[in-house]
Amino acid sequence: MDFLSPVIAGFGVVFQPENLFYCLLGVTLGMLVGVLPGLGPAATIAVLLPITYNIEPTAAIIMLAGIFYGAQYGGTITSVLLRLPGEASSVVTAIDGHELARQGRAGSALGIAAIGSFIGGTVAVIGLTFVAPLVAGFALDFGPSEYTALALLGILLITTLGTGSPLKSILMATVGLLLATVGQDPLEGASRLTFGVDQLLDGIDFVIVAMGLFGVGEILYNLESLRRPAAPAAAVGSVYPSRAELGQSKGAITRGSVLGFLLGILPGGGATMSSMVAYAVEKRASKEPDRFGKGAIEGVAGPETANNAAATSSFIPLLTLGIPANATMAIMFGALLIQGIAPGPMLVEEKPDLFWGVVNSMYVGNLLLLAMSMPLIGVFVRILRVRAAILAPLTILVTMIGVYTVRMSVFDMFLMVGLGVLGYLMKKVGFEPGPLVLAFVLGGLLESSFRRSMRIFGGDLTGFLTQPITATLLGVIVLIVLAPPALRLSRRNRQKVKA
Amino acid sequence: MRIGVLLAAVALAASACSVQGGSADKSAAAAGYPNKPVEFTVPTDPGGSTDLLTRALAKSIEQPLGVKAVVVNKPGANGKIAGKDVFGSKPDGYRVAVMPQSLFAIGPLMLNDADPVKLTDMTFIKGLAVEDYVLVVPADSKYRTLKDLAGASDVKYGTTGPGTGSQLSQTLLFGLAKTKAAPVPFDGGAPTVTAVLGGKVDAASVQIAEAYKQVQAGKLRALAVFADKRIEAMPDVPTAKESGYDVVVDQRRFIAGPAGLPAEVRDKLAAAVDKAVASPEYNEVLKANYIGRWDADGDAVGTQLNESLKRFEKLAQDLGIDLKAQQ
Repeated sequence: MDFLSPVIAGFGVVFQPENLFYCLLGVTLGMLVGVLPGLGPAATIAVLLPITYNIEPTAAIIMLAGIFYGAQYGGTITSVLLRLPGEASSVVTAIDGHELARQGRAGSALGIAAIGSFIGGTVAVIGLTFVAPLVAGFALDFGPSEYTALALLGILLITTLGTGSPLKSILMATVGLLLATVGQDPLEGASRLTFGVDQLLDGIDFVIVAMGLFGVGEILYNLESLRRPAAPAAAVGSVYPSRAELGQSKGAITRGSVLGFLLGILPGGGATMSSMVAYAVEKRASKEPDRFGKGAIEGVAGPETANNAAATSSFIPLLTLGIPANATMAIMFGALLIQGIAPGPMLVEEKPDLFWGVVNSMYVGNLLLLAMSMPLIGVFVRILRVRAAILAPLTILVTMIGVYTVRMSVFDMFLMVGLGVLGYLMKKVGFEPGPLVLAFVLGGLLESSFRRSMRIFGGDLTGFLTQPITATLLGVIVLIVLAPPALRLSRRNRQKVKA
Repeated sequence: MRIGVLLAAVALAASACSVQGGSADKSAAAAGYPNKPVEFTVPTDPGGSTDLLTRALAKSIEQPLGVKAVVVNKPGANGKIAGKDVFGSKPDGYRVAVMPQSLFAIGPLMLNDADPVKLTDMTFIKGLAVEDYVLVVPADSKYRTLKDLAGASDVKYGTTGPGTGSQLSQTLLFGLAKTKAAPVPFDGGAPTVTAVLGGKVDAASVQIAEAYKQVQAGKLRALAVFADKRIEAMPDVPTAKESGYDVVVDQRRFIAGPAGLPAEVRDKLAAAVDKAVASPEYNEVLKANYIGRWDADGDAVGTQLNESLKRFEKLAQDLGIDLKAQQ
């Protein structure tokens, strides 16, 4: 069992009091910034970078990692309670999570999210411990053409997310794709739809779109109801999920863990894709898909488990290949560089203490988060009892600060208010922001990957079919599109034959 | 105590500001400089090499400057957002920015921008760093030398984005070699290296730090560096020049303030930077990231930017390459 000795030594590193302290500090901070809409883990880690100068490398990375996965726990809270997804990976949680909160089941939703997150996170750390080197290559297999197919699959899944008509979902997805083209052309650098505004050159940040359409739009909409006689305050309900709810979520948590772990390894959009795919899978796997969008607990359990598993497995490309999988990992990469450690394929051999210390700290961190979040849920759900007249302006204030921290740009604050008005109007006429926001996230990936692929294939569309993974994904898409009508047709034929 | 000093500083600054115009007032303000924190703006997201460099500099400059140094990230539009913001502010020496050479020497050749940051918008304070580019292929690539690659019939090369040294170096190389080659621009160094590792593109030119570990681990093969002479970090890798393609492209970073910065303020800043870049901590960060020092003074920075722009322009013209169409 030679392989296990550095792993066990890693636990020795974690249980040094100093490292335990930084782990606790990291996950606590992470949960707090997750709760604050807009202020994401990437920004927090960036702010804390200079502080890590003076901390020992392993402790520093343990803390920063804690912030990252801790924020995944916290992010759920605003998604469920205020319909304010702070991150792309918790957009789908807002759909059923907020609905549950309205029905007085916020406690259950948050409880199941915490339990799912714990299980998803832990499963992913176990995966990280035992199969990281085996699955790391998976990240390299994904190039432009594979991402094109993946993004296409994601956009197809969007149409299943909405509760309204598919037509409305497709319409909103189109608007999202259009918004994604704002900014500098990713391949040629030409300005598109920027109207001469420099602040639009890098496109619109996801946080602005999500918080504007979901959060601010929701607040504006709720202000209308203030004029009507006040509705009785929603009951908060039990903090702990019932036995029935746990039973309902069992399958969702299992599937979410596996999906999240696998998709999280992919650089770029892995965590978002994983939560979306998890939601779509739950809806398809469910015997009563009609409940989704109206407060299905599996619609919270699946995605929340998946995004935590993905957050953890996104460390695999960084630690084993030296490739940062997302913005937060890129900053983590920088944090390691500041410490004089260049992450690369040799990290495990060169710095086993650091590698296993960080990996094993995640077991401890997830446990700490579960222990902290369960009792805190009762405190958080009390937010729902705050009068709207106080809560609404306060939320807007926090949201504005959050948006500002993304790029230190006042322009972005105005942009969010503008999108908030759009979100309000959309809600009035029965359009849902979910498909728009997710198409926005995937649009950028789809466009740049598709155009890169075309460069690589020399403009030949059939090039996509020469790549095994791409071809397989495209096959899945064709199946999803063609299967339902084909089934209907064959059923009709059979009926005809019978008749 | 600290707060007292700060209050005094604020009062002093306020009194300096309340007296408007006049060159005598300007030098009076310069005499008291600096009496409040100096803000260093980084034109990229945190974590990249410019960010690391600036944070290391800010840490070492506090002592010689005698005030706090604050690092602010203002990413966007290849540095234009930060440039417009800082160089549009009052030239008092309290706001400076670390800028990349590419925005001025490469961007104008490859991109159309009606309202770019101009050299005349800045007062150059000091040169800071120089980073070289290395051409890498996957370790299992059939191309073993630069000649192999240049002689190939259909090359797809990755670049770190439009208007970068990565793109320019390869455009010029394949232009000189008359190789049929098509660029595939990615969004920064990490995705580009990933694409080479996965064999999605045949080759890519990236900064040393972005590829060093992968080359060391035997996952990537370095074919050439686009430097004037062989570089310390990779002594076995020939320059493109040695292989017969005279392409020298590097990325340089310098520190600048708004145009019209009083000479006294500029000199004080430059002297403080000199002391900071001599500190062991700063040099350690540079060394760990394979970044070279560029100790040019303010005027030399301006000359370098102008010369690079002209040299690249002429090279492209001689080759008959329309750089704007090369994307």
